[in-house]
Amino acid sequence: MGVIISSYGKLLLASMGQTLLLTLLSLIFAMIVGFIFALMNVGKNRLFNFIGTVYVDAVRGVPLIVLAYFIYFGVPSGVNMLTGSSDFKLTALQAGTIALAMNCGAYMAEIIRAGIESVDKGQMEASRSLGLSYGKSMRLVVLPQAIRTMVPSIINQFIITLKDTSILSVIGFPELTNMGKTIVGSTFKSLQTWAIVGIMYMIVIVTLSKIAKRVERRINRGR
Amino acid sequence: MADKNIKVHVEHLKKNFGKLEVLKNISVDIEEGEVVVLLGPSGSGKSTFLRCLNQLEHATAGTIIVDGHDVTDKHTDINKVRENIGMVFQHFNLFPHKTVLQNIMLAPVELKKMTKEEAEEKGMRLLARVGMDDKADAFPSQLSGGQKQRVAIARALAMNPDIMLFDEPTSALDPEMVGEVLNVMKELAAEGMTMAVVTHEIGFAREVADRIIFMDGGYIVEQGTPDEVILHPKEARTQDFLNKVL
Repeated sequence: MGVIISSYGKLLLASMGQTLLLTLLSLIFAMIVGFIFALMNVGKNRLFNFIGTVYVDAVRGVPLIVLAYFIYFGVPSGVNMLTGSSDFKLTALQAGTIALAMNCGAYMAEIIRAGIESVDKGQMEASRSLGLSYGKSMRLVVLPQAIRTMVPSIINQFIITLKDTSILSVIGFPELTNMGKTIVGSTFKSLQTWAIVGIMYMIVIVTLSKIAKRVERRINRGR
Repeated sequence: MADKNIKVHVEHLKKNFGKLEVLKNISVDIEEGEVVVLLGPSGSGKSTFLRCLNQLEHATAGTIIVDGHDVTDKHTDINKVRENIGMVFQHFNLFPHKTVLQNIMLAPVELKKMTKEEAEEKGMRLLARVGMDDKADAFPSQLSGGQKQRVAIARALAMNPDIMLFDEPTSALDPEMVGEVLNVMKELAAEGMTMAVVTHEIGFAREVADRIIFMDGGYIVEQGTPDEVILHPKEARTQDFLNKVL
């Protein structure tokens, strides 16, 4: 174990950095995607409802690993077939971020939708009766209340996404799990390597969830 | 005074929820300064009628003209019309994440009717009027039901509406709190506010209403002064209802 840490410690930490970078980027986009589709789903426009439902169902119905392959290999090959060239390529970070953001975004959309629907509909009515538009009522009255109920689920989803980054080792993104594979490949020390990798994930996730608990408590204090 | 000035004109209003016909054919006018109380058994369509006036429910058929604006017309800016129609709900619907004063200031400031300072001043004046100025910085969760409803009335008044709709404003209150809310409403009526009130408070109706409309089964069964409807009801259904509630 000591050998691995002394000779691969820096690489492991760097790959943990990549994992966190991928997580962070994915989460930012997933929040945006989630909000857009959640708002589509709670509105009254039938077309938007339909698009929202199809998106959520489609993405949730496909394993992340398949989605990652599709975006990393499938989409560029399709684009190049259409344009008749071979110039279009996605980096593993780009494809990974898109796949994770799409995947996490679909779950996020459901969390946000449920959060919005948990707010008593009298709140929207009261706001509308004062002359505020639907958008303003949503932003000023409904969402601030919805977010409080959403926070625990969002934090949970963040943790799931962080763990899901490991799946993107299959498209060659140099994140922590991929580094583990590389180290095992050259040292043949499976037990030690995977133990270290596992512990690294655990430390980060436990730390994050502790911070998250704090944030959650603070948000709920004003209730 | 132009006391024949029609504030609300409703013609052949129908409202269905799926196959259920809640309002069957309602035509009614409300004059400026008039206090109209809607009575009737639950399920008779009183609340739905009230909610059609500011289009919280969309009419299935018929015309509703409020302040000269046809609210059933898709081209009408309903948000603009609603600014002039205050509504008070059975369950108060105060915004729990905002203080009492913030609840009142939200709409006037967001809709650029007033600056923050003006809205705050107006808010405090309205709170004083409903006897809640000492709770300006409290959150709704810290208030009793009667206090919540008085704040909700102040919130609706902050937009300077010229019509106020009350949808069972005292039905969710403990009995000892009903009076404080009704008193605020009485004052409002005395000041000449045009009001449409759905309530089960027959005493309030007798004392304050200019006209009582008795509804049942989606129709207006009869209407008239409190004396006519409450003391000398003509219709059997009205008599029956009054016998049960009095």
